[in-house]
Amino acid sequence: MLHNYLVTALRSLFRHKLFSLINIVGLTIGLAACLLIAAFVRDELSYDRFWKNSDSLYRLQIKFQIPGRGIDIFASTMGPAREAFTRYFADDVERATRFTEQYPIIRAGDRIFEEPIYLTDPETAEMFDFDMLAGDMRQTLNDSRSIALSDELALKYFGRTDVIGETMTISTFDLKADFRVGAVYRKIPNNSTLEIPAMIMINPSDFAGQGWMFDEWFSMNVLTYFQLRDGASIASVNSRLDDFANKVITLPEDFGAGKTTDIAHFFTIALPDIQLKGEGMGEMKATGSMSNVLVFAAIALLILAIACINFMNLSTARSTKRAAEVSLRKVLGANRRQLILQFLGETFLIVCFAMVLAVVLVEALLPVYSDFIGKTLALDYTDGTTVTTLVLLVLTVSLLGGAYPAFVLSSFRPAHVLKANKSADTPGSLMLRNLLVVLQFSVSITLIVGTVGIYAQKIYATSMDPGFNRDQVLVLHGVGRTGVVPQQQALKDQILRLPGVAAATYANDFPGSGGESNTSVTIPASGSDRSSFIKQRSMDADFFKTFEIKLLAGRDFNRDIAQDRADIATENAVEGQVIQYNVMINQSAVRMLGLGTPEKALGIVLREGAGTERVTDMTIVGVVADTHYQSLRKAIRPELYACGENGLGFMNVRFRGNPREALSAIRDVWTGMISDVPFVTSFADENLARQFKEEEALIQLLFFFAGFAVLVSCLGLYGLASFATERRTKEIGVRKVMGATVVDIVRLLVWQFTKPVLLANLIAWPIAVYGLLSWLEAFPYRLESWLLAPLCLGAGMLALLIAWATVGGNAARVARSNPIKALRYE
Amino acid sequence: MLKLHNLSKVYRTDEVETVALNSVNVEIETGEFVAIMGPSGCGKSTLLNIIGMLDSPSSGNYFFMDEDVAGYSEAKLGNIRKQHIGFIFQSFNLIDELTVAENIELALLYHNIPASERRDRVARVMDKVGIAHRAKHMPSQLSGGQQQRVAVARAVVGDQAMILADEPTGNLDSAHGQEVMEMLQALNEEGTTIVMVTHSPAHADYARRTINLFDGHVVTENLRAAV
Repeated sequence: MLHNYLVTALRSLFRHKLFSLINIVGLTIGLAACLLIAAFVRDELSYDRFWKNSDSLYRLQIKFQIPGRGIDIFASTMGPAREAFTRYFADDVERATRFTEQYPIIRAGDRIFEEPIYLTDPETAEMFDFDMLAGDMRQTLNDSRSIALSDELALKYFGRTDVIGETMTISTFDLKADFRVGAVYRKIPNNSTLEIPAMIMINPSDFAGQGWMFDEWFSMNVLTYFQLRDGASIASVNSRLDDFANKVITLPEDFGAGKTTDIAHFFTIALPDIQLKGEGMGEMKATGSMSNVLVFAAIALLILAIACINFMNLSTARSTKRAAEVSLRKVLGANRRQLILQFLGETFLIVCFAMVLAVVLVEALLPVYSDFIGKTLALDYTDGTTVTTLVLLVLTVSLLGGAYPAFVLSSFRPAHVLKANKSADTPGSLMLRNLLVVLQFSVSITLIVGTVGIYAQKIYATSMDPGFNRDQVLVLHGVGRTGVVPQQQALKDQILRLPGVAAATYANDFPGSGGESNTSVTIPASGSDRSSFIKQRSMDADFFKTFEIKLLAGRDFNRDIAQDRADIATENAVEGQVIQYNVMINQSAVRMLGLGTPEKALGIVLREGAGTERVTDMTIVGVVADTHYQSLRKAIRPELYACGENGLGFMNVRFRGNPREALSAIRDVWTGMISDVPFVTSFADENLARQFKEEEALIQLLFFFAGFAVLVSCLGLYGLASFATERRTKEIGVRKVMGATVVDIVRLLVWQFTKPVLLANLIAWPIAVYGLLSWLEAFPYRLESWLLAPLCLGAGMLALLIAWATVGGNAARVARSNPIKALRYE
Repeated sequence: MLKLHNLSKVYRTDEVETVALNSVNVEIETGEFVAIMGPSGCGKSTLLNIIGMLDSPSSGNYFFMDEDVAGYSEAKLGNIRKQHIGFIFQSFNLIDELTVAENIELALLYHNIPASERRDRVARVMDKVGIAHRAKHMPSQLSGGQQQRVAVARAVVGDQAMILADEPTGNLDSAHGQEVMEMLQALNEEGTTIVMVTHSPAHADYARRTINLFDGHVVTENLRAAV
């Protein structure tokens, strides 16, 4: 019996080549897409679960809600928080550790690089089980002159990993010291939110001059992780966080009296949740998002559903062909259950076959795909979960795709079928098929609209006028290093002398740089002591000229006017005396401070530190247009600009002509003057565009899978069209005899498949528009909503054209055939 | 009406060459009722298909209304066909998805006739063949005789000058067969040329002339004296 089933199944598979091919190819693509996305989703869900203590590790974070400023969420907290936190929650918290990133210059032998490393507490060794290759992590992190290296970094500096005892010279701020390599650990796997090339112990005396790093309560620059005691509950910690905040943090005087929790709240997040649910500035690396994972999981299921639909559609459409076989089997005594089992078995066979091909396809695509999404993905076929996934997929798809056809096929009444040899197709199954085609195309169109919409937003945001000229600006990093600061002026002069250089300016940030510093000011002239939070930036007098930022009122900074120099004024400050200098502000600041127009803002004095010993009065001398200097993603904030000439961290150089020539000329100047600071640069436009990296990855993935969905839908449509034309052969013959031309017939057949696609548009548009609009909400600067209309129409047209192309060829072939062949025999 | 001169049709497959018609000479006058008879495989249907321009001859001439159409393109033949020729098949060949009225209307659909006129003509011809009460029914709801009446209606609704009927009674019982024959006879009396392939000598008697085919040759032509 089984042999007979198998033979029938295989022969039927080979006899109906088109049908088999479409089904197998469609299912293969569907399953492959599913496996690829499953690998992605599984990886996203696996983040930080490999740590031995992952169940008890949490991170402390803080959220600020300053009136009139929106919400600021930080992944990081302030330096002193760790100690206060462990003391306050001594009953619940076993230990805690901090990580703060530094970019020191590291020299080992003749290798010298600017290198991101982390300063951390000794507790890190107890909390995180690094994969040790050599040395001792505990000892290393307890010694202020030892360094723990990842194997990657060891290879970079020494070309080998057995480097215990080697020396590396680290210089950053006032620290310049030799560190002994005390531990080498394997690079943290990619599925972690931690990315730590190297670690040294936090030694507060090394950074005595940088109080903001570990001592101040209003600088968020350390990531603080803690481990719960056995049996302690995170809920109990969470419920007392507000008390903790009010107890340990005292708001600055000029903030207006009030509790800390009026503006700030601590919160905690479990380490494994950070990748998908984490929010806030200052992560070690870009995290994922739960919504992306959900979207892709949904896409995987939809593509698979499309493939299953193809299977159902083609099987039922083809049912006429097998009606005779079914009837004969019934006449010979087969019961319905046996037939259902037979057809389900056939489906299972096809699905197994497709799964084997899908695994081959996935293995071929994985390297490219991994590269694409910046992960290292692999399917481990010895792993229980993988095997279970594969088996479950095969069973689910077999059932989903096979059940309906099996019931339809097994339901034929032999007398009816054998006698009349009639089409066993019922209006119901035809309707269902059309419905399923509508569903397939709805999914495809939604995906097309989504992909193009996200792409359009990216184009819109990256090509939006940022309010300054971002093109042809080279950023020199590391100019604030001790090795460069004394030569800053000379360096700038030399660079300006290069023929390819138009302008240059020092500033404490560069286009697309992260991080910001804020201060609060009052306006004494207003008579009110209401303080406003404002972003503070420093630059030299050439900044606005270099970036071609529009001056709205007043004048630009002038280095010859002593009052313009904030750096000198601060340096020369006398204890107890009010510091005075000139500042500029942006248009948003004019609005926030309630100064009316840019012109009216001129001459207004802003006071910083009112009521403290250190009062600064800043007179507004100029107002410039708003710029998207730091990010094209965030809303523009009120900004305050102070002019200084010394010690700023970045030089922005506007060059002319070929970037490579400019870069090499500037490098020559640098290497001629500076020996112990590496030459590190970036381009302003690239820095800004990089903020859309996440969207870019999303677009590419969506494009990839939307393509899959469309392809599988078209395969199905092609198959359906073939069977429909076959089924309508007689009708076509009759119509031709009645005088219908080839064009008439093609139009007739194509129209049959145009209706479902048109209907699919009506379903897809609202879904796609709703999805896109919700997605766009995260962007303060977004596409005009009306642009979604042409986008939807375009996607609909595209789907229609694809459908026509799929159906048209087949229709034309049939329409051209001689009608008597169709009509001679019924 | 039409004249076939030395007309031959040869079907070729890779290995076999089948001569379906061999130098056939036939002339049919306007207003005639001709029956074509002969055993299975003698070439009756091939002849009818060539006359109906659904197939083209391998050699010889086919004059239709004094035009030699033997070498015409499919599109050109299609044009002549839809102007002048109506078809009736043994298996009715109604479209299952269309109603009776829609099936009949099909013959007008490709003639650039306004919808209102199409409706009128369909209604008139349905009255004529007596199926007006079934206008909204689907073919599957009709008996064989009724279905063939629809097919006849469809063949004449365009005022075709000639009707080609391929065993129109083959699938019908004798009562229904006779009904259809009477209908054809009535049409012929109104001036329509009718060419009919049949196996039944009784039904061939309705025709004024019978052409007997055997192995692709015309063997006899009997003229029946007008009654």
